Parts: sequence; C-alpha cells; structure tokens
Amino acid sequence: MTTTTTTNSALTVDDLGVSYGPVHALHDTSFTVGWGELVAVVGPNGAGKSSLFKAICGLVPATGHVRLGEVHCHHQRDRMNAAYIPQQSDFDLDFPITVNELVLSGRRRFLPPWRRPRLVDRHAVSDALACVGIEALGLRPIRALSGGQLQRAFLARAVAQEAEVFLLDEAMSGVDAPGTADMLTVFRDLAEQGRTLLVSTHDLALARRCFDRCIAVNGRIVADGPPATILHGDTLDATFGSGSAVAGFSLN
Amino acid sequence: MDLLLDPYQSEFMRNAAMASLLVGVLAPVVGVWIVLRRLSYLGDAMSHGTLAGVAAAFILGVSVTLGALVAGLIMGALIAVLGTRRRLGEDSVIGVVETILFAVGVILISRNDRKGVELGHYLFGQLTTVNRNDLLLNGFLALVAVAIIVLNFRDLLASTFDPIHARQVGVRVDLQRYVLMVLVSITVVVSLQTVGLLMSVAMLVTPASTARLVTNRVSSMTLVAVGVGVFSSLGGLTLSYHLRSAPGATIALTSAACLLVAFAATAPSRRHVHHHGADNTTDPEAVSVAS
Repeated sequence: MTTTTTTNSALTVDDLGVSYGPVHALHDTSFTVGWGELVAVVGPNGAGKSSLFKAICGLVPATGHVRLGEVHCHHQRDRMNAAYIPQQSDFDLDFPITVNELVLSGRRRFLPPWRRPRLVDRHAVSDALACVGIEALGLRPIRALSGGQLQRAFLARAVAQEAEVFLLDEAMSGVDAPGTADMLTVFRDLAEQGRTLLVSTHDLALARRCFDRCIAVNGRIVADGPPATILHGDTLDATFGSGSAVAGFSLN
Repeated sequence: MDLLLDPYQSEFMRNAAMASLLVGVLAPVVGVWIVLRRLSYLGDAMSHGTLAGVAAAFILGVSVTLGALVAGLIMGALIAVLGTRRRLGEDSVIGVVETILFAVGVILISRNDRKGVELGHYLFGQLTTVNRNDLLLNGFLALVAVAIIVLNFRDLLASTFDPIHARQVGVRVDLQRYVLMVLVSITVVVSLQTVGLLMSVAMLVTPASTARLVTNRVSSMTLVAVGVGVFSSLGGLTLSYHLRSAPGATIALTSAACLLVAFAATAPSRRHVHHHGADNTTDPEAVSVAS
C-alpha cells in the first residue's frame, strides 16, 4: 500500500510549519501532488505561499516532512529534484548574464569539479531552451527579454536542472496577456511530460480559468480541490478575509 | 613616444610601473563582483579597516600582507556577528566596524611613530619605495586571487545573480561572500604601495563600473574592466611623472575620467534600454507582491 502511494505522488508535504521568530507563516500544512499535475496555489500577500515553496526546497528552516518522489528530504542535496523559481521582483533584471549562462547554472550538480560545462551540458541547455520555446534567445542578455520570455528562461533552467517538481512564485506577475497565454501552454507541455508544477498566484480568475486543481493557503491549507468547487464564498472569506467574496475579489 | 617612455629610464619607476600594472589587473577583476553585488561601500570599508592589520604587523615585525588579511577576516567576522541583530542595518554595521579598525590603526601608528611607521605611506601609497621583493609577493598574491575567481567563476556568477537558486543547487553562498571579502583584502594589500588604502577602492570600483556601462556579460565586463584598469594605472603613473602629482591620486582620477567618457558615450542607449525594460518587465504588482 505504502509503495503505491510513494510511486504515485511526486510531492508529499506532511505537517509542514514555517516560523520567522515568533511569527508563524505556515502551520499544519499537509497535501500530496501527483506526477504531471498542474496546481495553482492561491492566497493573499503574506499568506505563506513563498514560505511553503521555500520550505519544500529547504531554503527556510521548517518543521514537518517533505518527500520528493520516493526520497524523504533530510538534506539540501535531497531536494535538487525540486526547482524554486522566485518572483521576478527579486532579481536585478539588468544583470549582465545571457540566457545560456542562466540556464547553464541549473546544471551545477552535473558539472565536473571546476564546473567546466561539457558538451552534454551544452546540449542539455539547448534542449531545455527548445522545451520552453525560446531556443533562438540563448545569446540574448536577460535585460533584452520580455517578462514572459524571462519567466520561460527560468523554466528552462529548472528543466536543465532535471527537476521534477517546479515551484513558481508569482510567475504571472509582470507578464502581459499574450505572455501569460504562452506560459500556460509551456506549463501544460511540461505537465504532459510528467513534470509537476505548483504556481502561486493571487489572480483567482486565472486560477479558475486555467488550472485543474487549486490549493488555497492562508497560514495553513484553507481548501484544496478543483477551482470551480473551492473558489466560492466561504473559502474566499477564509482565504482572503471576510467580504472578499461579496466584493467579487478578482473573480471578474 | 618620449613622453611615454622617458619616465621609465630609472629602475624605481620601472618597479612602480610593474606594481601599478598588478593593481590595474587585480583590482578590476575582483571589483567586477563588488560592483555587481552592490558592495562598493563594503569594499571601501574593508580598505580602511585594513589599516589596523597593516599597522599591527609593522609594529610586530611580521608580514604586512598577513596583517592585512587577518584584519580583513576580523572585519568579516565582526560584520557577520553584529549583522545578526536585524534592528541594525548592514550599512550601519559596516560603518561601525570600519571605524573601529581604522581608529585602532591610527592609534597604533600614532603611538609608534618613532619606529618609522608613517601614516601617509599607507594612506596614499608610496610607489617610489617598491622593490623587487614587493613585486614578487604582490605578483604571487594577484595570481592566487585571479585564479580563485577564474576557477570559481560559475559559482560566483550563480550566487551573485540568484543566491536562492544557487544555494538550492549546492553553491555555498555564504562561503562565496567570505572568499570575496578575503579577495578584497588581498586587493587592498596589493594596492597599498600604489594607490594607498584611501584610494584602493577607486581601482576596485571605477574600472568595473565603467565596464558595467558598456557590456552585457560578466566575462566581457571583466576584460573591459582590466583594460580600463591597466590604462588608468600606467597612464596615471606616466601622467603623474610629467605633472609631478601624487601617483595614487592621478591614477584614481584617470580611471574616473574613463568612467565619465563611458557615461557620456552610452547616455542615449542606456535611456533606450530603460524604456525597453520598463515596457516589458515592470509591473506594479510584481514589486508589491510578497507572500
């Protein structure tokens, strides 16, 4: 029985908790995500979406357990099958780095000592770029990319990392409408190839329209299920505070 | 041609040129990372704080290089410890630690001036006293520092651009930061006789900033920075000979002139890129969202 659960789930989070000093960002958080699932994680600012993703990747101290595939994560090196993609506002978007160099940084665990990329790594980079549809942009500096192209470059880095679980923090912020549509196509392609994607967003309309499953977070898991079922009055109140359902928060 | 070669008839000027050349290569190579990480203030503070180590080493009769490195390490540790108290901003912590070490250096020197320790030599450089042994030691240090950066290039790049991801894929981001601080200490030591403590930050920051304006990759930025650094150090030295001006200050001003030229030359294109970036990537929500 245990074996079946293990092979069926790409990510298992069990009783996860994150605290910053006296502040509990996240508590009693448990859920399971299967291979190839595309999940929206919704919640207001400060709800703990970033903390959840960072805890899964071991980037903040956390209590509870995380399992990636069959691996129980104890150390940082156990978690390299998960890729955390931070918000664009966390970056210096004028940094002098090309798309190829950015994607190559995902290959670190495969590089020999002294980190000189081999031919196989160069191929992995171009394959990853092709995988997200930006194969022509490898030599571009990132500051010459649009918001959507940059987000795809980060996805390519995760592909090159050979990650199986992608955790995207506010991936749609700073991306225009056509860019968002392209991103969703890439998400679906990656999911069809068996990769698991969790995308945090505060855009409920987007979550409702484009995702099959939605996890609502506000310090804990408030609801988990198909967006049509869970994104209604009571859940919205519990997630975004009372009155948000009445005000039609982001549901236009 | 004579104007360029005349100064270098004497051996001490040839030694001075070699010493300047080493600074012109090393400081920009390290400085690229200081500029990209926006740590110019830390670089400035490290150079001043090094005075305590230099003075102590001179008085104890041990290697000045060792003294400077120890001071750099103590500084790094103090900044790390005081920085754990979040209520103190890191810039304030750096300012306090810099002052402690600089003041200790000044006191040590002022109490031992009869031993021939001259404050001005350390603060402004003393190119004419450079001898062959200094050159060998500085050359060795510069070689080690450049090798560390070249061999560590990809991890430095990853942890400078995206420290969170770098940590996730196994880069020891904290270690990188300490290594960089040690490299700044080494740069200050190598710059000591050429431009002096007070202006070593000029060679650390100005050539790299100049290169930042005209390049789109860290590798090309490093090459351009070294070009500007070598031009400034040798050009500044030659100029100082003819103008009978202080060599360190003349070198610093020559590199500043390069920055101003690059600034003027790139003005239209920088404006264009700014607009381009704003159209595509800036979104009020992207800035305000934090969960």
